[in-house]
Amino acid sequence: MRELRELAVRLLETSDVQVVIGWEESRRGVRPAFAQTPAEAERLVFDQRCVHNLAAYLHPRRKHIRGLGRPAVVVKGCDARAVAGLIRDNQLRREDVVLIGVRCPGVWAENKAEGQPGNRRWAERCVSCPQRTPTLCDYLIGEDSPEPSGGPGLEAQVERIQALPMAERWAFWSSAFERCVRCYACREICPLCFCERCLADKSMPQWIESSPHRRGNLAWHLARALHLAGRCVGCGECERACPAGIPLSILNARLQQSVRERFEFVVSDDPVAPSPIGEFRVDDGQEFIR
Amino acid sequence: MARIGVFVCHCGENIGRTVDASSVAEALRSHPGVVHAEDYRYMCSDPGQTLVREAIAANRLTGVVVAACSPHMHERTFRKVVAAAGLNPFLCEMANIREQCSWIHEDREQATGKAIAITRALVEKVKANTPLETIRIPIERRALVIGGGIAGIQAALDLADGGAEVVLVEKESSIGGHMSQLSETFPTLDCSQCILTPRMVEVAQHPRIRLYAYSEVEEVSGYIGNFEVKVRRKARSVNETLCNGCGACTQACPNRKVPNEFECGLGKRPAISVPFPQAVPNMPVLDRERCARFMAIRKGITKAVCGKCAEACTRGAIDFAQEDRFVTEKVGAIIIATGYQLYSIGKEQPEGEGLSGYGEYGYGQVPDVIDGLQFERLASASGPTGGRIVRPSDGRVPKRVVFLQCVGSRDPSRGIPYCSKICCMYVAKHVMLYRHKVHDGEAVVFYMDVRAAGKGYDEFTRRAIEEEGAIYRRGRVARLWRDGDVVKVQGFDTLSGEPLLLDADLVVLATAVRPQPGIRALAQKLSVSCDQHGFINEAHPKLRPVETNTAGIFVAGACQAPRDIPESVAMGSAAAAKVLGLFSKAELEREPTVARVDAAHCAGCFLCERVCPYGAVGRREVRDRAGRLVKVVAEVNPGVCQGCGTCQATCPGKHVEVQGFTDQQIYAEIAAL
Ligand SMILES: Cc1cc2nc3c(=O)[nH]c(=O)nc-3n(C[C@H](O)[C@H](O)[C@H](O)COP(=O)(O)OP(=O)(O)OC[C@H]3O[C@@H](n4cnc5c(N)ncnc54)[C@H](O)[C@@H]3O)c2cc1C
Ligand code: SF4
Ligand code: SF4
Ligand code: SF4
Ligand code: SF4
Repeated sequence: MRELRELAVRLLETSDVQVVIGWEESRRGVRPAFAQTPAEAERLVFDQRCVHNLAAYLHPRRKHIRGLGRPAVVVKGCDARAVAGLIRDNQLRREDVVLIGVRCPGVWAENKAEGQPGNRRWAERCVSCPQRTPTLCDYLIGEDSPEPSGGPGLEAQVERIQALPMAERWAFWSSAFERCVRCYACREICPLCFCERCLADKSMPQWIESSPHRRGNLAWHLARALHLAGRCVGCGECERACPAGIPLSILNARLQQSVRERFEFVVSDDPVAPSPIGEFRVDDGQEFIR
Repeated sequence: MARIGVFVCHCGENIGRTVDASSVAEALRSHPGVVHAEDYRYMCSDPGQTLVREAIAANRLTGVVVAACSPHMHERTFRKVVAAAGLNPFLCEMANIREQCSWIHEDREQATGKAIAITRALVEKVKANTPLETIRIPIERRALVIGGGIAGIQAALDLADGGAEVVLVEKESSIGGHMSQLSETFPTLDCSQCILTPRMVEVAQHPRIRLYAYSEVEEVSGYIGNFEVKVRRKARSVNETLCNGCGACTQACPNRKVPNEFECGLGKRPAISVPFPQAVPNMPVLDRERCARFMAIRKGITKAVCGKCAEACTRGAIDFAQEDRFVTEKVGAIIIATGYQLYSIGKEQPEGEGLSGYGEYGYGQVPDVIDGLQFERLASASGPTGGRIVRPSDGRVPKRVVFLQCVGSRDPSRGIPYCSKICCMYVAKHVMLYRHKVHDGEAVVFYMDVRAAGKGYDEFTRRAIEEEGAIYRRGRVARLWRDGDVVKVQGFDTLSGEPLLLDADLVVLATAVRPQPGIRALAQKLSVSCDQHGFINEAHPKLRPVETNTAGIFVAGACQAPRDIPESVAMGSAAAAKVLGLFSKAELEREPTVARVDAAHCAGCFLCERVCPYGAVGRREVRDRAGRLVKVVAEVNPGVCQGCGTCQATCPGKHVEVQGFTDQQIYAEIAAL
């Protein structure tokens, strides 16, 4: 904690950084914090409750945050992957942000204070996290910690669903999507959903019907998942934000598996590797293109 | 309100057999927005077109659907008709009820039902269509020709004589290509230099040709009508404006032991030299690899060494400090004419080409085993021996010469399956040249077939056999080796079935024709494709032989496939004609069905830029009234865009759309089904 606060204070005092985006204590756990003064930086914390993906504050749609000035952001492994995604998709220039990487111990399923339910259970994604320590960062703080274990990982969940017969799988997702109230919280919180105007908000033509019924919901979830294929970093924020408890992470993870199998692409925090969704190759593996 | 006219065609029996065209018209008559529907036997015929034209005027139609064949077949035809009637051509659509309906179905009732559905869908699309204006692009009336062999020379001269400005880029120090190395040429045996040199001089003197010799194409950007080309003018170490080609420097150079590339290694040249006396431009190049001064500099010697050439030059043209220079030229069209190279038959082969070489022929090891071009130099009056055919090893006149055809060619196991096409003919020529000069000599030819298709070609090869007494043996040679004074030739005659072992004084290998070494890199710069061997792909093997798949880029000569001189010249002229045709218009007209970005909503992710196969997407800054940067958005160059729609499929928010195929229009079409 000392290391983080000292660094944040130093950045604010001695470098061209106007705001450090991290976490601070609140009554209901930790919450994102925007430290603009050394005094505010003294309040920053980092521990297993820091579930939020702060990269979501970096894309140009968050104009109010861009208005605060040049930011430094605390990033876990998954957050760094999201920053890389923003750079890859031209939403952010590397030189416009200072990245404080933390050696992430894994985070709890929820950011509740000690003793409250949800605490002390690893988030599923952290049990099968591909990279907890970011490589895309300017500073790296914290200590190495053992791999989170115990409880089912996300990959196990995907396998469970994939093992179901087709009809049951369909029933599983149909009932999940039926619960969607189309609040678009999943989209708003996603660091990679940066479109100025989402396909779901277009009415000429209206590819995705806007009212929460089966057909519109299915169209929305297909579009959301496909647009994140090869881009989703598995931070689990969409699922955490969803008021209807839809297991979006399983769907996301399954799509990343497909992308890995078909395009040999793994989402990483390398901002240069082009994701398959933005690449034209004459020797594309997909027969329908040729 | 939409006032749509529907015109259903029987296409004789083609559609009429399975689709009841009048029922289709009948059904469409009650479709919302349709004010006129009729059917006719041949809508594309003159009376059919008149029906359409008159109906547009009589019913004040705002859109037209022709239910007939595929858009590929007649969209242009009917759009013209519609335009002639004063309606925007893009308010006319084809409903394909032939290829997609009548031809593939048997049940008349069902097929008719499907034809009605297809036509309804297109009516809905036309309702959503908007008028589009043809895009006009200015044309730069200058052409770039890459390669100054006979193909490039012909193209450049035809273009320039036709009134176009030409930039000719040649990588060697002189134009002329391989033809300048040939002695006499089949099938008429006229002297190669004698027919080529005047053409080369014409290039040099033509007021509309700008020649960059000893230069290479560095970068190409832009698109048809508007290319920008960066040319690297390699340092000759000779000032082009001062040098008058007197040759004093080449006489003065003390290093006279450099293998002469023009003579295929059979002669020597100084370190500063002109490749051959008739060179155009007639200006030397200093070979920095072989020049004593530069060798000393490389060794770290700081004192200026030698400099004999500079001393000899009365015009002070030698410039040791000269550097590569770059010039940028704007051109409207490009012709690729980079020619060929011969398969290097030795064991060592360039990597990644899948070739394995012919080590067993001892090329490069046995001095009296040479290739066809070396033979051309020996037979050439201006060559290293003054036209005397002698053995490189001891200068003796060979009494028996063995020629091997198809070395490398037609041998898939060694990497080249194709026929090099010219070898049968030049071997017959070599036989004749040899027999004309060595009357008592014996010429033996090993061949697989004699392929002599062409005007006067078969007669030519027959002459070699019947009048010059060449011995043609059908079969392959397994091995060549040196045995004392002779080259042993071990082969097999497949006609008589006997193994052969011959003593030859000289062996000439007719090695395969291959594209120039740098061809793939050049093709990449130009965005044109090569076949698996590296020859430039033509747009259509029969109907578009000198066009490439990239608009505005053409191909001529042996860089497209093995070609002899008459063919290379014909291709050069053909490519020039195509370019002149392009230049004959004031502006280039392009279909307006190109992509356009909705800048207001574009998020600037540039996925579209990354996926566009034609490099048509660029970036544009959006600024507010005070000039502050708001964001950077994608922008499509309508001159480059081919309307493929890849960007549209990729954009997550669908903020880039091909005009005439917008989401709204396609959606309307689908929703009607
Ligand atoms: C042994 C032999 C004998 C032959 N005899 C005959 C004959 O008797 N009759 C006949 O009709 N044909 C004959 N031919 C075939 C003849 O040589 C070709 O048909 C002809 O030379 C092809 O002309 P071209 O302009 O296409 O290519 P080339 O002659 O190869 O010219 C290509 C030119 O482009 C230049 N170039 C290459 N790459 C670049 C680059 N990247 N940038 C700029 N410039 C470049 C080269 O330096 C060269 O000057 C013979 C061929 C051989 C091998
Ligand atoms: S957050 Fe949940 S309920 Fe809201 S739109 Fe997304 S999936 Fe539907
Ligand atoms: S889709 Fe969900 S898990 Fe993936 S990056 Fe967006 S918020 Fe994170
Ligand atoms: S339509 Fe095709 S060619 Fe045109 S900009 Fe889009 S991707 Fe490029
Ligand atoms: S893909 Fe769409 S949003 Fe992204 S830059 Fe292109 S037009 Fe803009």
